[in-house]
Amino acid sequence: MAKERQIVIITSDGDKFPVERKVAEKSILIKNMLKNLLPPEDEQEDDDSDVDVDEDDEPIEIPTQNVRSAVMKNILEWCEHYKDYEFPDDEQDDDSKKSAPIDPWDSNFLNVDQEMLYEIILAANYLNIKPLLNAGCKVVAEMIRGKSPEEIRKTFNIVNDFTPEEEAAIRRENEWAEDR
Amino acid sequence: MSDSVKQNDKIPPTLHRKTHVRSPDSQAEVSSNSITLGSSSLTKEAGLSTFGTGNKFTFTSPTTKFAQMAMNLSAPCSTLPHNTNPTAPAIVPEHSMENNDNTNASHTTTHSHQPASRTESSVLTPFLNNHLITNPTTTDSPVEEHHYCYRHDPHTQCNKAADEIEMTRIQKRLETLPHQDQEAISHVWSVFSAAPGQQRTLILQGLLTMCCFPQLSLISQEVSKLIRIDFVEALPNELALKVLCYLDCQSLCSAAQVSVKWKQMADDDRVWRHMCEQHIDRKCPQCGWGLPLMAVKRLRESSFVRKRKHDTALDELQNSLKHLPPPLDECKAITEKCRQVKRQRRTRPWKAVYSERFKVERNWRKGIYKIKKFEGHSDGVLCCQYDNNNLLMTGSYDKTIKIWNVETGKLLRTLTGHTRGVRTLAFDEQKLISGGLDGTIKVWNYRTGQCISTYTGHSEGVISVDFHDKVIVSGSADSTVKVWHVDTRTCYTLRGHTDWVTSVKIHSKSKTLFTASDDATVRLWDLRTNKCLKVYGGVENNGHIGQIQCVIPFTVKDKLTTDLQEHANVPDSGEGNNQSENSNEENGKVDEALSGIPNLPSHMLTASLDNTIKLWDVRTGKCIRTQFGHIEGVWSIAADTFRIVSGAHDRTIKVWDLQTGKCMHTFGGHVSPISCVALGDSRIVCGSESGEVKMYCFDCS
Repeated sequence: MAKERQIVIITSDGDKFPVERKVAEKSILIKNMLKNLLPPEDEQEDDDSDVDVDEDDEPIEIPTQNVRSAVMKNILEWCEHYKDYEFPDDEQDDDSKKSAPIDPWDSNFLNVDQEMLYEIILAANYLNIKPLLNAGCKVVAEMIRGKSPEEIRKTFNIVNDFTPEEEAAIRRENEWAEDR
Repeated sequence: MSDSVKQNDKIPPTLHRKTHVRSPDSQAEVSSNSITLGSSSLTKEAGLSTFGTGNKFTFTSPTTKFAQMAMNLSAPCSTLPHNTNPTAPAIVPEHSMENNDNTNASHTTTHSHQPASRTESSVLTPFLNNHLITNPTTTDSPVEEHHYCYRHDPHTQCNKAADEIEMTRIQKRLETLPHQDQEAISHVWSVFSAAPGQQRTLILQGLLTMCCFPQLSLISQEVSKLIRIDFVEALPNELALKVLCYLDCQSLCSAAQVSVKWKQMADDDRVWRHMCEQHIDRKCPQCGWGLPLMAVKRLRESSFVRKRKHDTALDELQNSLKHLPPPLDECKAITEKCRQVKRQRRTRPWKAVYSERFKVERNWRKGIYKIKKFEGHSDGVLCCQYDNNNLLMTGSYDKTIKIWNVETGKLLRTLTGHTRGVRTLAFDEQKLISGGLDGTIKVWNYRTGQCISTYTGHSEGVISVDFHDKVIVSGSADSTVKVWHVDTRTCYTLRGHTDWVTSVKIHSKSKTLFTASDDATVRLWDLRTNKCLKVYGGVENNGHIGQIQCVIPFTVKDKLTTDLQEHANVPDSGEGNNQSENSNEENGKVDEALSGIPNLPSHMLTASLDNTIKLWDVRTGKCIRTQFGHIEGVWSIAADTFRIVSGAHDRTIKVWDLQTGKCMHTFGGHVSPISCVALGDSRIVCGSESGEVKMYCFDCS
């Protein structure tokens, strides 16, 4: 009967997203925020002393100033997909995870234009959603992998700001890796 | 002309100031103030004037002017830098304001107004007015930190160059149109430019519904070109580094050549440190490459030595400060010197470390080497050891031990004393221990050439020695193993082998001893009890059928390919397990005698005169891999984290991949059988029955 208070995430452009608690808690930032606002889910009935009873029915509004609506929509889709999945402790087996290829679902999910990917990465960083941040960074890395410098410039629309002399020197400096 | 002036009246010159103060609530939020922003950032480059949005323009102005205008029109996704004081004047350089006025002036002189434009402007002006003049106090969060959209951030380079080219193109095409059309189009742009974000979206959505497919196609193409983000520059540094850490070294080196910023990030020490960590002592699962462990050891040792040197120097300096309170300026000088010493301690960049190791590893893989010869022995070479640095020692049938400087190839010293051939030797930084066919073990101070002591006790030749701390172990042709405790002057004899004991290896971590014998078995002994714990061999364990010449216990982190994997389909093998670090439970029979021994090595390698090299699971006692290839007996093997090197009677040296057991290289060209091999991180040493000592150097460039 102690119904879970609704959580509403408000984006920078004012859109409101009602979400389940466990979806929202994929964001460690929000999780920590909620920890301060709400008793843990399993203790909800016992302890509501520090929550104003009158406000119980009011949804908890969480403003996210750095994330706009279109990005938040994507982020929440990701959180929804993984809401029942417990990610292993992050720092633990860092090495094996680093070398693990990107999950196909993530890869497909992040198959968006560069602007969206950029904002998703920033938002995942801000909201502290490590697995999503990792996936985003891996996607960018895959965009770089195996490309020549010129191909990388093309991919990201980068201006070559080396002088020809610098370029030649840097090329020589990095030649060792080319032939393996 | 008068019209234009009037408009300027409607939109007062202070316009820009006011609008700047308004701070938008999101990065996508559009406000007119960015118009000035875009131009002010441009003015820096071009030193040209800007347009006020409220003005009407003619497009007879120079290209660059238009480019600016177009920039203004296309730019407004960004807003001014965060202004904490809403009432403070806008951050517009004064000259830009002046320029603005000039522009207006120039317009008034060049512009002739059409009636049509007048009516349009009557619709336009209120709209623009409305959106350009905003009371700062009405904004939602005037002090809120604001963000540029990526494209219009004045700090990013991306797109800007391309934008300029594109604007020039637009300008040229616009100039071909009749005047009214130019004006009409400019109005469309002005309106869009002035509109706030949500309205812009609305305008665009409306426009999209009007587009025919060819136009949609154009948009799709153009947009895909435009939405490109220089992630490395745009992301916060720590995230950019995170991205780069997912790359392989080749991609990183490409990335370093992209631009100045990319070079800075892709060469970052943290990235390469991570690369080194990922490849040291293990094969990187992503790229299959690994850097030699021994190289790292040496690196660590040398840096340790260096550090110690520095520390002493530092201590001395600091002590001098403590003990004699010198004049102030002298104090300063000493402190400065301390700082310098500390600075020197800095090691070289990880990228250099990586690249050096990488080149060596590539040469290993490709079989690129240079040969060094060490000439001097007058009879067959029986044993050799290389310290992975600059010392090489060889023992020979000619009864001598020779010590070589590896870099110069010079013979440093010849040790004489054994009365028959020197069959085995082992050395560390202080001492050399040798075993001879004369049945003696000698301990040498090889720096002075002095023989410190001689141990006698074996009834026949000493074939193998090893030592650790104060314990020397020897294997003999008399089939016994002797354990000499130097400090207590006691000697234990381990009996069990039934033929020559050809190889003895102390495994210090588990306080055990591995011995190999011509009786085709390896025995594992507990050095604390001197009891034999296990015998490795026999047909049932797939053991050797010939005399074993060499045993190497070791522990691996990587998974090793085993024969069991290949035969996993065979039904009754019952050993489909993928081996590795710990013993396979399915194989079941982890020897109980071993259960009480912690830190046992996981595996061992053996070489035998039956032409094979075998890999064993130490705990189960099974041979899990047999490497075929030598066509005559294998006399000697050496191994590190990545490789096995073998020298055989067939006059070849083979290099094997430790992980897969595949033969990578076969080096021939030897005139006689190879009796001994040694392995460094970038070198192989081999000695042959003809007395030749050769070194294969894979660290040549």
